[in-house]
Amino acid sequence: MTAVIVKALADLRRRRLQAGVIFVTVLLSIAAGTMAVTLMSQTRDPYQAAFQAQKGAHLQVAYKAGTDPRLLSTTPAAIGATAFGGPYPVSTIQFKFKEQKFFVDAVGRDNPLGDVEVLNITSGRWAQANDEIVLTRSFADLHGISIGDRVKVTSVAQTPLLSVVGEVVDIDEGSADLSSQRAWVQAAAIPSLTSPDSSYYLMDYRFAADPTRAQLQGYTDRLRAALPAGSITGSLNYILIRNIFNITNQILTGVLSAFSIFALAATLAIVATLVTGIVISAYREIGIMKAIGFMPAEVVGVFALQIVIPALAACMLGIPLGTIVSQPLLANSSHALGLSYTPSFSIGMDLMILAAGLLVVAIAATLPALRAGLLKPIAAIAKASAPRGAGGRLLRTSAARAHLPRPVVLGIGDALARPLRAVLTLVTVLLGVATVVVAVGLPRSFLLINNSATGAGNYQVVVTRTSAYPDSEVMRVLKAQPETARVVAIGGQNITVPGVLDPVNTRLYRGDSSRLGFLVIAGRWFSAPGEVLAPAALLRDAHLKIGDSFTGSTDGQVLQLRVVGETYDINNFGHSLFMDLATMASTKPAIEPYMYDVTLASGADVAAYVHRVAAVQPDLIDVHASDTSIITPVQIIDLVLLVIAGVLALIGIGGVFNTLLLNTRERIRDTATLKALGMSPRQVMAMVTASAAFLALIGGVVAMPVGLYLHHVLNDVISNSAGNDTPPAAYAVFNAYELVLIPLLAVAVASVAALVPGRWAARTNVVEVLHAE
Amino acid sequence: MIDLVRLTDVNKVYQGGITGALNGVSISVEKGEFAAIMGPSGSGKSTMLNLIAGLDRPTSGTITVGGTDLAKLSEGGLARFRRDTIGFVFQFFYLLSNLTALENVLIPAQLKGGDAKAHARDLLDKLGIKEVADKYPARLSGGQQQRVAIARALINNPMLLLADEPTGALDTHSGDQVMELLGGLHRDGQTILLVTHDAKLATRNAARVLSVVDGRIVDDARLESPERAASEVIRVRSEETSR
Ligand SMILES: Nc1ncnc2c1ncn2[C@@H]1O[C@H](COP(=O)(O)OP(=O)(O)OP(=O)(O)O)[C@@H](O)[C@H]1O
Ligand SMILES: [Mg+2]
Repeated sequence: MTAVIVKALADLRRRRLQAGVIFVTVLLSIAAGTMAVTLMSQTRDPYQAAFQAQKGAHLQVAYKAGTDPRLLSTTPAAIGATAFGGPYPVSTIQFKFKEQKFFVDAVGRDNPLGDVEVLNITSGRWAQANDEIVLTRSFADLHGISIGDRVKVTSVAQTPLLSVVGEVVDIDEGSADLSSQRAWVQAAAIPSLTSPDSSYYLMDYRFAADPTRAQLQGYTDRLRAALPAGSITGSLNYILIRNIFNITNQILTGVLSAFSIFALAATLAIVATLVTGIVISAYREIGIMKAIGFMPAEVVGVFALQIVIPALAACMLGIPLGTIVSQPLLANSSHALGLSYTPSFSIGMDLMILAAGLLVVAIAATLPALRAGLLKPIAAIAKASAPRGAGGRLLRTSAARAHLPRPVVLGIGDALARPLRAVLTLVTVLLGVATVVVAVGLPRSFLLINNSATGAGNYQVVVTRTSAYPDSEVMRVLKAQPETARVVAIGGQNITVPGVLDPVNTRLYRGDSSRLGFLVIAGRWFSAPGEVLAPAALLRDAHLKIGDSFTGSTDGQVLQLRVVGETYDINNFGHSLFMDLATMASTKPAIEPYMYDVTLASGADVAAYVHRVAAVQPDLIDVHASDTSIITPVQIIDLVLLVIAGVLALIGIGGVFNTLLLNTRERIRDTATLKALGMSPRQVMAMVTASAAFLALIGGVVAMPVGLYLHHVLNDVISNSAGNDTPPAAYAVFNAYELVLIPLLAVAVASVAALVPGRWAARTNVVEVLHAE
Repeated sequence: MIDLVRLTDVNKVYQGGITGALNGVSISVEKGEFAAIMGPSGSGKSTMLNLIAGLDRPTSGTITVGGTDLAKLSEGGLARFRRDTIGFVFQFFYLLSNLTALENVLIPAQLKGGDAKAHARDLLDKLGIKEVADKYPARLSGGQQQRVAIARALINNPMLLLADEPTGALDTHSGDQVMELLGGLHRDGQTILLVTHDAKLATRNAARVLSVVDGRIVDDARLESPERAASEVIRVRSEETSR
């Protein structure tokens, strides 16, 4: 055994460059794999833990303001809830903080504890006076509001000032970057904060065991049956909220696991290539090893160990690295859940990754090394290196016909001289380039979808009003501005749709809404009252397709609706409706727009416009430039994609580099001969570069359709996980020019990687090499 | 006549070498000459040929070929020099195994950037191996391989043909054929420098025999006739053995 280790270490020292390639590629892939496994093992647990600790509500229901509180107190028994909270009076308020205005649902609640929805106070204390308010930490963090700050409520005429006294984590709502937020005041403070049509009752229900979606549906159906029509105006279930918390990590975990499998596959291809190459070039040595008494298994061991030793070193570094790099993501999600963050890793899991990683690498190294073990000593000693076929002839002839310079033709022939090696190298290049394609494409798809939601390029200013300032006044002010080109007014209402658990958030438009930039996935935008669009999830849950009619209801009143199109909307995971405001013209009370998307004439000064309009009525309307920035979870996904693409690109470069090293070493005599025949150093460089460029070109060209397909699939997976179908435009984010450019970029990068082996080959000392024969 | 090759006080010490492989060698070879270099193993014959071919640089001294001082050439310049001016035939042929005979012959021409297919076929024909043009080296006999190598050396019409024991790896019959070929080339005006162990082979064609011992030229015999040649060489060999 000692002999095996001594020999393996000696060989390692001789093949430092290749050991380096193995080290780097294993390091990168094992780190990516560790990240994926760490995230995967943690994604579900934190929400579950926080949900238990804070006695999360399985179901939250909003009841119309006029509902009899005594009737509400009978509802828990009606659906078999084991615990309940409320009824809490709630009022939707708008408040102003440092020139910015925010809408929150102010909940009147005297005690943060209780049997359901315990509010975890992370700083400050609970509201004790009528002029105190408690915010979610997520909201306070996002907008830079701290304890002691005062906010001015602008939705009621008295515009009272409230002091922020506490920050809490609420397990029963999504984080502020993805969801609207609640705030808490004393119950007694609610009347003074209530404006007409802005209040409701909230009730929390908790059940003995986690209910299924079907059970939840049953409970809400029972509640509807037990109460006067139109009593329920909204509801929220824990499954939806859990999904909101988990979606970022879920997407990340999916992306990371898929690509760490890629990274591992590429690494294994390199390992197999390398061991095959070492065995080929060490034929004589193998013969000698056998002749001096190495057992076949020991010969295999020598070769496998040369790989396993650098791989082990890479794992020792890569596993902690992957664990550390995943910590910010984990910390992020436990912070959002109000869980104290403790660096989380499990030695057991790390050891398992180590064992699995080494095992796979060892297998990839052992299979080709078996060839060395089986070699007959005499045959091996007789031949300095394994016989090589006349590979690549067809290619060479066609390259020659294309009148490429001879060094290039020779280089291309070399690239394919060993078909297995060529194929394995192409695999590494392919995976690298395909990943780069995905990493370029997905952020663009995200941006496209983001722009459709934020109106980038379609409207520049968003105005919201409080009920104290009428719609007609807002329209008058906006129309009076010379730069105003178009105003689309937006109202909102919850509509109950048969077959759908929670009442559906509906957006109602007045004006030319077809030009706001919404993505129409199928069908068309609505053009008449009663026509609606919805995202995929709603259509699926309600068993609707384009052309179907259905009956919705709001506030006890029936609406006849017809689906004319499918659109994209991630709110509530694809549960929303889009229609003309006139559809609700006859519902009582009348629904009025509260938000205005304003398109300015081209070249208009947005800041000046915002300033001017805001000055008209500083408290009662909020005017701001449309925020087209990308939400944080998407930024995180973009970043992770970028890193992953870097990792796979590096591994691909490693693959090409490794193959070039093997090829140039094996062909050193041919190179010396060519130099003797008058091949100049520059021509030798050209020959090696042509090898690399050719592999990169073929790999890159094949990778394009693979990358585009992956981009397509990932778009679908991500859209689907948010309750949507992928908009066709999100697939088509590459132009023809780029489809050519990306493989060429791969060629350029591979050519740079060829510099080291190329220079090495160019400097071949003819006399020494031929003398050594 | 003009000196095609001139070595002036050339020394060569290899890295790690204790004594020089060449010690103060000065010779000149005229255009059209067929000179044989003989000497015992390790005496520096190959070293001399390699230096003339521009495959390596001398430790000191100057080498000019066709009026060009090789020391003045860069690596690229030397490569161009080898390609355009020198034809080199090795003992072990050194054909590229993944190219056919014809492709091997064409390489120097293609490195130069030209198309010489017709010329290459002519050469193969002239060397009596036109039927192996599309075969790979592994399928050829040693003699055939060496003839392919000679065709490769001639493809760019070199000023100087260098051959380092071209018959060393061949059986007697094939060796004779190869020497016959070289003799024919010489009669057509080709300048040839040949390293060989075989005195008979050397003297059958060469009109001049340079004897090298321990990196020094110990004899430079110009032979008028084959008979004279044989006796001269025998003298040289006996000197060798007496050392
Ligand atoms: N690349 C080299 N590195 C170190 N020493 C070398 C090298 N090439 C040749 N030598 C040494 O230089 C001396 C001359 O070698 P050279 O090959 O010129 O001899 P030779 O006359 O061609 O011998 P042979 O008849 O065996 O081919 C020898 O001692 C040899 O060992
Ligand atoms: Mg020699």
